[in-house]
Amino acid sequence: MRENNPLSPHIQIYNWHISSLVSICHRITGIINIIIITFICLWLTFLLLGSSNYELIQKFLLTYFGKFIIIGTIWSFSFQILSEIRHLFWDMGLGFELKTANITGLLVIFGSFIATIAIFILGRGLI
Amino acid sequence: MVQINLPKNSKVQKGKFYKDKTGSKNIRKVNIYRWDPSSGENPRIDTYEVDMDNCPSKVLDLLNKIKNEIDPSIAYRRSCAHGVCGSCAMNMDGKNGLACTKPHKEIKGDINIYPLPHLKVQKDLIGDLSTLYKQYESVEPWLKVSKKNGGKENLQSIEDRSKLDGLYECIMCACCSTSCPSYWWNGDKYLGPAVLLQAYRWIIDSRDEDRKERLKKVADELKLYRCHTIMNCTNACPKGLNPAKAIASIKKMLATG
Repeated sequence: MRENNPLSPHIQIYNWHISSLVSICHRITGIINIIIITFICLWLTFLLLGSSNYELIQKFLLTYFGKFIIIGTIWSFSFQILSEIRHLFWDMGLGFELKTANITGLLVIFGSFIATIAIFILGRGLI
Repeated sequence: MVQINLPKNSKVQKGKFYKDKTGSKNIRKVNIYRWDPSSGENPRIDTYEVDMDNCPSKVLDLLNKIKNEIDPSIAYRRSCAHGVCGSCAMNMDGKNGLACTKPHKEIKGDINIYPLPHLKVQKDLIGDLSTLYKQYESVEPWLKVSKKNGGKENLQSIEDRSKLDGLYECIMCACCSTSCPSYWWNGDKYLGPAVLLQAYRWIIDSRDEDRKERLKKVADELKLYRCHTIMNCTNACPKGLNPAKAIASIKKMLATG
């Protein structure tokens, strides 16, 4: 085989399926969650450093961008948790039939949005 | 490694346009990936206008029609035309499958035909599968028994035999392996769905005496655990098999002992 043979197109032409979409989102939210957890730890450290620091973050979280971050965080965690539950079933060897996998995939996608709305509203009520 | 963009020599260019000469009113455009090893040029997409009034139902018939009537230079593999040999595996309408079992009616809009993804192209729609065949060889796909049975049959209960259903039907067309992003990025080390399904077929065979060794051999961070349950394999399989489930079964066997 000569070196100059081209590589056939792959991700450029391949269709997205529900399960591949959920899989890539699972990875992305995983990375986002690690970053968010780091920031939550920093936030807690700031709390220890006194009230002025706390108020600074409080002000940021009340801006539109801050709210976007909060809602994004809730979605990212909801998605990751729901998808992880799907993975746990897979680890037991369940839910591999194409139809089942598509349904659970859709459940993860829509479930994550429903959970985001529910947690956000519930959280506001608690505060 | 993950490399999203195609290398420089693989960038696809616009190719020739073959206008319909039959004057038919039922025309479809077919876009086909072309690469000629003797030209030294980059791959291109040629567009053919095909008269669908005189074309049988499958994508392979469409290709044959183009080769016979429009452009004899186009190269693709085919043999049985009944979904048994697995030669005509290719990417149609963004999904891998067998050209001989895929009806072109199922495809909406223009028909896009590419070789199987992420392979070294030999010519036009023919990809190089030698890595996959080497990997297939590495799982030693044959029955291993120590004792001679005196020339008698090696019996198996109906229950044990049924464990091979959904595995033995695999025709090694490579639709699944070449649909798998993990196999795209780590194809040199990760065995891929087709080979792992075959590995499982021998692991689960009640007559085989080498199960422990087989499991040990496949239990590798790269060989097996690059499977992240993306499930493109099961989506692609033209025989309706479930490589993702077979891989999960191997993982489960390794985890539960």
